[in-house]
Amino acid sequence: MIYVENLRKEFKKTVKEPGLKGSIKSLFYPKSEKVVAVKDISFEVPEGEVLGFIGPNGAGKSTVIKMLTGILTPTSGVCTINGRNPRENRKSYVKEIGVVFGQRTQLWWDLPLRETYGVLKEIYEVPEDKYKKRMAFLNEVLDLESFITSPVRTLSLGQRMRADIAASLIHSPKVLFLDEPTIGLDVVVKDNIRNAIEYINKEEKTTVVLTTHDLADIELLAKRIVMIDKGSNVFDGSISELKNRYGQIRELHFDTDTKNAEKILSYGQHFNFEPEDLSVECEGSQMKVRFNSSVVPVSEMLSYTLGKISVNDISVKDADIEEIIRRLYKQGVE
Amino acid sequence: MKLLRRMFRMHRIFVVQELKRMTEYKSDFIIGIIGFLLAQLTNLLFIWIIFSQIPSLLGWSISQIVFIYGFSLIPKGIDHLLFDNLWSIGYFIVRKGDFDKYLTRPINTLFHIMVEKFQLDALGELIMGVALICVTLPIVGIEWSIAKILLALAVIPFATLIYVGIKTATAAIAFWTKRSGNIIYMFYMVNDFAKYPATIYNNFVKNIITYIIPFAFTAFYPAKYILTGENPLFNIGMTVIMSVILMFIGVVIWNKGINAYESAGS
Repeated sequence: MIYVENLRKEFKKTVKEPGLKGSIKSLFYPKSEKVVAVKDISFEVPEGEVLGFIGPNGAGKSTVIKMLTGILTPTSGVCTINGRNPRENRKSYVKEIGVVFGQRTQLWWDLPLRETYGVLKEIYEVPEDKYKKRMAFLNEVLDLESFITSPVRTLSLGQRMRADIAASLIHSPKVLFLDEPTIGLDVVVKDNIRNAIEYINKEEKTTVVLTTHDLADIELLAKRIVMIDKGSNVFDGSISELKNRYGQIRELHFDTDTKNAEKILSYGQHFNFEPEDLSVECEGSQMKVRFNSSVVPVSEMLSYTLGKISVNDISVKDADIEEIIRRLYKQGVE
Repeated sequence: MKLLRRMFRMHRIFVVQELKRMTEYKSDFIIGIIGFLLAQLTNLLFIWIIFSQIPSLLGWSISQIVFIYGFSLIPKGIDHLLFDNLWSIGYFIVRKGDFDKYLTRPINTLFHIMVEKFQLDALGELIMGVALICVTLPIVGIEWSIAKILLALAVIPFATLIYVGIKTATAAIAFWTKRSGNIIYMFYMVNDFAKYPATIYNNFVKNIITYIIPFAFTAFYPAKYILTGENPLFNIGMTVIMSVILMFIGVVIWNKGINAYESAGS
């Protein structure tokens, strides 16, 4: 369905020295440098899949999404949806996609929400009867009824986001791009939106590409993750693969009476941990040890610890996806 | 044909939306109208002061000059009424990355931008233009023929297109520079020269407003034909040619610009 190969995007950036003097100087002697926002990205998304597209801030996620939605022209590489290229026939291409940028709105700011849908109906040439059915469906999924007559500027962020998602679905697109659809929302609204996305994906086989910093979105919605950093792919696979590959991190919680437990144990020296494979946090009687279980097995860690200090309570935790991604974002992938 | 019908339909829809938007902010709308009436009044005063000092200018009588002035306001007003949103491209739509949404919609971006706004202020120019023409028409002694009436009416859309073309070309520069409002302004203000007979200027200015930034074709040349019946091939024909060339250049720059568009970080 979506096919991306060796996508690359370079920007030219003017380099200025600081201050007004620097700005004036650059007016006469402009210096520019090439910034590679997206270096080399390839992935495919089959029809009906929800793809979690993640990466740290500035990784190039939005740039990729913007190339896929026909907003930016790639410097090189290919991106197509159903074999169509946004550069060759933008108009027929964008009819098949819906786009939501969580940080922007495409609704008409000054007018009642309903008016936006009326205009979009015309822009996308949705026939009247289909439009009515569609609005009824979207109303049911996203619950727009209570604010559809309010001017857009008076909507709360949660209402606005629901309204924006509905706006992107008016023309029943085959692919839906959601760029941070849950940003800044409270837990309940987040749940509503996730349910709506899941429902639409199931009901209409809509392919969804989702970028987010909320990993719960990913865990609940996406079967597959593409992670990028500094403009390159770093991971492409399912969540369980991600856990298998990078998930040897375990977390041990001890409740101990021994003072200076951390010093007594000195895991780092004893087991020769690399710094990134170990972190120890102590707070009162609680000690949290996060370590790479492929270096030292959990059983060995436990017996060593129990032999050195007196422990009242132990718990062992699996690495959650958040922890894995935190490590990946911090270090990049070797 | 189908495309044209669709364009008109979209246009009507956007105009209706704009009117609804205006009524959404009632006090702003009312004050806007008052301000606009005041502006027109001072304009009228200004014209009266200028023209009461000069009985005639290089063979043009005062009533003829006023006629030219009035005629110049018609294409200017139509452009202002319908295609004002191009200014926003130059000032903020591109710079802030708001152009994204136009690119994700299955409708020509230039068309979408142009029809999205409907600038009622422009009615001032249009009313003033029509009024000045009506006042001077009986005095200037025009010999009418059917061909002349048809040509006079037909030239107005082309004269408007000169404005649109120049604004499109200069606004599209923003796709590279991020902001081109002042460039549009610089070119746009040249139209002030076009309100008066081009022959009163020295050759340098005359050639610029005839061949480089051809605003003289939005008013003086067509009006000259209407007044004197002279040389329709140049006065009307060149207006048509110039407008088509300018619009073509504008569209080419626009389409190139879209590929250079860089959006904004989010």
